[in-house]
Amino acid sequence: MISFAWLIPLFPLLSFLVLILSGKKLKTVSGYLASLLTGISFIFTLGVIADLRSVTEYEATWTWLTIGTTDIQAGVWLNPLNGLMLFIVSFVSLLVHIYSLGYMGENDRRATYFAYLGLFTFAMLGLVMSPNLIQFYMFWELVGLGSFLLIGFYLYKESAKRAARKAFIMTRIGDAGLLVGLILIFWQTGSLSFTEIFQAVEQNEFAPGMVTLTAILLFIGAVGKSGQFPLHTWLPDAMEGPTPVSALIHAATMVAAGVYLVAAAYPLFLASEWALMIVAVIGAFTAIFAATIGLVQDDLKRVLAYSTVSQLGYMMLALGAGGYVAGMFHLTTHAFFKALLFLAAGSVILALRKQNIKEIAGEGRHLAITKWGFLAGTLAISGFPLLSGSFSKEAIFAALLEDGQYGLLGVALLTAFLTSVYMFRLYFMVFHGKGADKPPKSVPVSMKIPVIILAALAVISGFFATGFADWLAAEQEYAVLHHSPTWLIFLATLLSLGGIVFAYFIYVRKQMDREEWKTTFSSTYTILYHKYFIDEFYQNTIIYSTRAISYLMYYTERYVVETIAAFAAGMVKEIGKTGSRLQNGRVQTYGTVALLGLAVIVLIFVVRGGYF
Amino acid sequence: MSSVPAQGYLILALILFCIGLFGALTKRNTIIVLISIELMLNAVNLNLVAFSKYGINPNMTGQVFSLFSITIAAAEAAVGIAILLSLYRNRRTVHIDEMDTLKH
Amino acid sequence: MNGEIIAFALLSAASVLGALAMLYVSKVVHMLLSLVLTFFSLAGIYVLLSAEFVAVVQVLIYSGAVSIMMIFGIMLTKHKDQENRPPNIKRSLITGAGIIVFFAAVYGAIRKVPFGEQTPNLHEANTEQIGIKIFSYYVIPFEVVSVVLLAALVGAILLARKEGDDQS
Repeated sequence: MISFAWLIPLFPLLSFLVLILSGKKLKTVSGYLASLLTGISFIFTLGVIADLRSVTEYEATWTWLTIGTTDIQAGVWLNPLNGLMLFIVSFVSLLVHIYSLGYMGENDRRATYFAYLGLFTFAMLGLVMSPNLIQFYMFWELVGLGSFLLIGFYLYKESAKRAARKAFIMTRIGDAGLLVGLILIFWQTGSLSFTEIFQAVEQNEFAPGMVTLTAILLFIGAVGKSGQFPLHTWLPDAMEGPTPVSALIHAATMVAAGVYLVAAAYPLFLASEWALMIVAVIGAFTAIFAATIGLVQDDLKRVLAYSTVSQLGYMMLALGAGGYVAGMFHLTTHAFFKALLFLAAGSVILALRKQNIKEIAGEGRHLAITKWGFLAGTLAISGFPLLSGSFSKEAIFAALLEDGQYGLLGVALLTAFLTSVYMFRLYFMVFHGKGADKPPKSVPVSMKIPVIILAALAVISGFFATGFADWLAAEQEYAVLHHSPTWLIFLATLLSLGGIVFAYFIYVRKQMDREEWKTTFSSTYTILYHKYFIDEFYQNTIIYSTRAISYLMYYTERYVVETIAAFAAGMVKEIGKTGSRLQNGRVQTYGTVALLGLAVIVLIFVVRGGYF
Repeated sequence: MSSVPAQGYLILALILFCIGLFGALTKRNTIIVLISIELMLNAVNLNLVAFSKYGINPNMTGQVFSLFSITIAAAEAAVGIAILLSLYRNRRTVHIDEMDTLKH
Repeated sequence: MNGEIIAFALLSAASVLGALAMLYVSKVVHMLLSLVLTFFSLAGIYVLLSAEFVAVVQVLIYSGAVSIMMIFGIMLTKHKDQENRPPNIKRSLITGAGIIVFFAAVYGAIRKVPFGEQTPNLHEANTEQIGIKIFSYYVIPFEVVSVVLLAALVGAILLARKEGDDQS
């Protein structure tokens, strides 16, 4: 089975090609076709994973390009980490496809939508199977393209176009870092293959300081893709896309790509104390930073988006603190419960036609399955005992404790508390309240099934922690699952439950008046509500200065360059015109031209005393 | 015995040549163009004869060559006039500006 | 100042005058006649250069044959007898500039060229000397020139003949 692994990304590609070329004719069956192909891809993935238990590592490459003495390879690379990512990507993608059958309903452009989903899935599957950084980079950019197309899917909406552009440009900043890192790595090692890079790291082939530098540059790429501070602002805006896309981007694919990059290049990071430190600090800061913003946002999807940013910060924090297994485990559980939350939120939005939680005000309580699914996801993300999130978070805390990062541990614990507060605020405001009592639109079955499956996984996946560690440990010796002391488990649980109770008192029992809080801490509230004014900061600094430079360039181009160009073109044109006028067929004209030529030659001869 | 310097003949030839050239390039009447060309040939003949007397190695060859040249010039004039007549019959003009079939 | 110089001055003035008149008179026949003056003056200059035979040939061929031929040309074609359109000033200026550059360059060259002053006796039995030269050294060119003349003759007749004469 494993030798057919290269087929896995090709099915979504096939789906993309078929739908983009003949989507208009296949309108009604387009979704089923795309789901079927993604399903085949998922089945292949399962087969590959079954093989991976015995093989552990598999690499099949062929030479793609030969430049000088360097061969650039293309192919597939499979190890437990890739297998895990393949599973998450193809599984969530399949569920999103099924969910989209209902969600996109009778949308006229659904064939295009499914085509884009196929392209996106293809890119992501190709990305996690890349054996070298150059192939990785290509798929990485394809992922960016896919996300751009999907976020901007509602292309008649100005905000969607803007968001798509923003996502594309913000991630591009990170990509530039990745590209520079990639070139530096090639310069240092002469190879871009992951395995060869790791060997080079082991044998200290890097120049001093270069390991840190390349690791940080790769991390900049990950920062862009995974929405870490300071390049996080595109992620909440990406909510303009259809909700299943948000689930796909936020849970399984695009944002996971950054974390995957750090995990895949982990030996490089391990070799540099500083790089790890930076990863951890950025992760921790992003986690708490996004969590505080999430506390006050009013848009259902936006809160989820900030929780994603925060959880991604957790993953980075875990990786930076040496908690490789913890980070990847959190990525896995997060994939399940965040996909669940988004899909449930999508059901709410589709049924109620609104997504501001103040307007919803509890109207979601009539959607039974959605409500229970959302509750499961919320409990999981809040770290409620025995649900998946509690296990993965506890692993992260343990890793931090092991690493001796007590400050970061404090931040992480505080974030855990905040997470449960804002998630339950969201839950209570959507599903508990006295909003209008009209029965909402029913939700199609195809949207309920993925929610149920994901809810089940969000609840139980935490119990596989040990097996998960063993699975990853088969390949990498640094894959160790840390176990935390009892007091830490107790503390984490307490914080999580405390957050839930806190939210309950504010938002259900209304023990504290929210409006009063707003006035008391008005400045804090304003800052949080405006997301620390990061967008405004970018607008006023980078965008304006860029715009100023652009205008300068524009006018330079318009008045200086174009004048020169017009002059050059005009000169050539005039010469041509003169030339064509000379060809008038009259002997005397020709004779005159010949005479002038003679005169010039004679003149040169006289002046220079010879021919030049 | 002081005689006319050789340069005098050469400069006269040069002046005539230039006038002939100017006429050949600017006159509109084809016959005048032809005759201007004859004038240029004459200037060249004058050079040949002058060199036959004042050259580095003066001898009769220059005069002989000028005779040949005059012969060829006469033949050229005859053929030129014949072409002119033929053209005139076809185009009804001797105006050289209207003879622009080289363009086509 | 001797006779030779005076003769040269007069003859060269006449030839340049004739050439310039060719440029500036308006009637075609007048142009031709002014050029005949130039041809005659050149014949005189040939005499000064001890080339009596060439001078006679010049008078016969140029002043006689070529001029007559040109007159026939003028007669056989239709003219309004003068240039009816104003001359092309722009082209005249451009051509004149080119010619002046050419003139200046060649003039400079002529001034620098050294010449021998030696005068062999070309004028003694000039025609005999030419005859000896032609029929001893230049027999083949002489014959070739006769072939060229024949070809020119045939060509001229062929070209000048009325079209459609083939049948007759």
